[in-house]
Amino acid sequence: MRFKGGYNVLFQGKPDGAVQTMPEPEKLYLPLRSERFHFSSLSVEEGQQVQAGDVLATDPDNFDIPLLAPRAGRVRLEQAENHIVLESIEGLPEHAELDGREILHAEQKAGTAAAKREALVRLGAWQFLYDAHTQALPDPTGTPQAVIVSTVSLEPFLVRGDVLLHRRLLNFTRGLEHLQSLLEYQPIYFAIPDIRSEFADLVRNHIRGYAWVKLLEIPLVYPYDDFAILARGLELSSGNGPVWAVRTEGVLAIDQALTLDRPCLTRTIAIGGTGVVSPSHIEVAPGYPLKAITDKYVFEPNPRIIDGGILTGKVFGDEALGIGTECRGITVLPELKEREFLGFARPGSDRGSFSACFLSSLTHRIRERLTTAMRGELRPCVSCNFCEEVCPAGISPHLIHKYLYRDLIEEAAQARVDLCVECGLCSYVCPSKIDLRAQFTEARELIEQDKREAREAKAREEAVEETSA
Amino acid sequence: MKVLLRLLDKVRPTFEDGGRLHLLHPAFEAIEHFLFSPSQTTITAPHVRDPLDLKRFMSMAIISLVPCILAGLYFYGLRFIAIIVVSYAAGLTVELIFAIARKEGINEGFFVTGILFPLIMPPAVPLWMVALGVAFGVFIGKEIFGGTGRNLFNPALVGRCFLALAYPAQMSGSWLAPATELGGRVLKYVDGSNLDAVTTATPLALAKQGEFVSTAHMFVGNVAGSIGETSAIAILAGGIFLLMTRVGSWRTVVSTLASFAVLAAILRHAQPDRFGPVLWHLCAGGLLFGAFFMTTDPVTGPVTNTGKWLYGAVIGATTVLIRNFTGYVEGVTFAILLGNIVAPILDEAVFAVRLRRLRSEG
Repeated sequence: MRFKGGYNVLFQGKPDGAVQTMPEPEKLYLPLRSERFHFSSLSVEEGQQVQAGDVLATDPDNFDIPLLAPRAGRVRLEQAENHIVLESIEGLPEHAELDGREILHAEQKAGTAAAKREALVRLGAWQFLYDAHTQALPDPTGTPQAVIVSTVSLEPFLVRGDVLLHRRLLNFTRGLEHLQSLLEYQPIYFAIPDIRSEFADLVRNHIRGYAWVKLLEIPLVYPYDDFAILARGLELSSGNGPVWAVRTEGVLAIDQALTLDRPCLTRTIAIGGTGVVSPSHIEVAPGYPLKAITDKYVFEPNPRIIDGGILTGKVFGDEALGIGTECRGITVLPELKEREFLGFARPGSDRGSFSACFLSSLTHRIRERLTTAMRGELRPCVSCNFCEEVCPAGISPHLIHKYLYRDLIEEAAQARVDLCVECGLCSYVCPSKIDLRAQFTEARELIEQDKREAREAKAREEAVEETSA
Repeated sequence: MKVLLRLLDKVRPTFEDGGRLHLLHPAFEAIEHFLFSPSQTTITAPHVRDPLDLKRFMSMAIISLVPCILAGLYFYGLRFIAIIVVSYAAGLTVELIFAIARKEGINEGFFVTGILFPLIMPPAVPLWMVALGVAFGVFIGKEIFGGTGRNLFNPALVGRCFLALAYPAQMSGSWLAPATELGGRVLKYVDGSNLDAVTTATPLALAKQGEFVSTAHMFVGNVAGSIGETSAIAILAGGIFLLMTRVGSWRTVVSTLASFAVLAAILRHAQPDRFGPVLWHLCAGGLLFGAFFMTTDPVTGPVTNTGKWLYGAVIGATTVLIRNFTGYVEGVTFAILLGNIVAPILDEAVFAVRLRRLRSEG
């Protein structure tokens, strides 16, 4: 498999490998919206007492994916907009490590694939699956052409596979077995880092016996872990059916659901970035109050707190109170405070750049103290070709930009703006500071909308024809 | 520095909409952003940006020209400074007028044009011609296309081409014999009135009469020629720096020089008594300067890497042909302008192939 482009943005605040447990909160704020889901259909009433694992709401547009109560508590619907609040939280009962009885129980429970899939949806493990091409939730009753499992997480800073797998490798391989049991003969591609690290060796040894797993070693360059890029590289065309994709936390959740029959009620997320005291990983329940986390970890007086990584994450709005069910990391950046005197003329041993225009390119690459500064004025494209060099999707961002600048949406579609994986690298490297990623997102939405409208118009026409016939 | 920033903040309202000097806002903005990095922040993902901006990008081009500037100063004296000042003053006026009319900022690209242009002038050229040439180049070569980033032709070369066609006598008769004394002309002002310094013979012109200047002299630079192009060693020093910063593409340079060398070698092999040796031709005239500093202009060259290889080949081959088979002694200017014309077509062809391949994917 060949990779194109890619680049690792280095900056301060890389989370270490330790996983801190946060103290149990008094209240949980469960957002009703996350990146893919909108839990619009409520299943609980104001003031209702719920147990850990009860369904609070479901998303009717996404195969009724449930929002589970992470802890026992009392439901409050009116306290915060777009959130379900759980108060009088009771701590999760300490569950012992797996004992033999439970494993036996799991083995005896000879569920068919369909029953297993239902269990995965009900226990909140299905939400960890992605359609590799569209990043949407795959249909739990559907059949994929292949499954991509990835332990690699390259966007700074999201929860890393090696941290999640620490001492849980057995659970992971068991999760892989469960995943395989959902399939008939479809291949599982397993992406691991290609470095000769202990971790990579360990994973390799563990899955040596699994003939149905095809190893895929990928270089640690952002964004080679992107599912759409992996699917394209493996020549799994979307025309041949969906490709399921799942990360480490998903496999662990599958294991927990199918082996222990337990819902997935805690998440490990990364907290990192320039504005964080001691960048680390934390284990929290979904809905954990954002303020409790920022109070503990953020020292910047005026930070930008981002839900997700530095290149693709969204800023937590003022109304955001708790960690969402899909959150994989929190990145904190200081907002730009001081304007640098003669900034462009500095030798630049303290800044890392994709280009070689700074002194740091002569030495080793450094981890910079990045802020939200634009670091330059908006200018017309000078055709430096950096965006094309860095693009992992093999398209020509500058060309598409020039088409979009002239409103040539048709040409942009011809230039395959739809292959863009929105990794954000083109916007990052652009010396003219053009916001290519945002432009492409907009263009892709427009093209999708056009296609949808064309489909609907065609369907209407056919309906008219049928009635007239 | 805080004082300076406070001062800028204080006078800012004068230059903003409704202020007394709001017409001069581009000038104010240029000065402000020269002194202090801009205060804009990112709005959406990606939340951070690379430190490289267009100022830095263009500064690299200017820094890479420093060896040529110093060599020019050494060989041709203080008059070179006067040419630079005139070039910047005239060009900046045009740039500012268009920035005001277009309500856009002053583009950094001009600062490269403003120094490139003096370097490709004959050392004894009248100063009014410098002003006229750079103004024409910036106006016709760049601004009417929409400014930096949208221009089809290299503005400095458009200006030079215009002067060469409009004032052929002055342009081909304003050469100076380079300094021969040890200290150079660093402290001397030599212009066309100093008749014994004026010469009409650049190495390429002499070669037409069958007289070859030594390659070693051309390598160091003490031959007659345009201010910046005579010293091969200065061009190489700056040019390699430019390629190392990745502001200029090595592909274009290698392709230009390689195609030139190959074609020149073929000619030399066919008729050794008629055509000059390859290394001699490589060092002569504006080839090296053009290859390193003109063809590498990202805006007027092709974007794609394949396009760059082809672009260089067109320029290198055309230069050989013009030098050896036409009435002109030098052909780099025309060759690069021709390259500028074909660059979009080359890109178009590369994109067509690439898009056909992409069509089946995903």
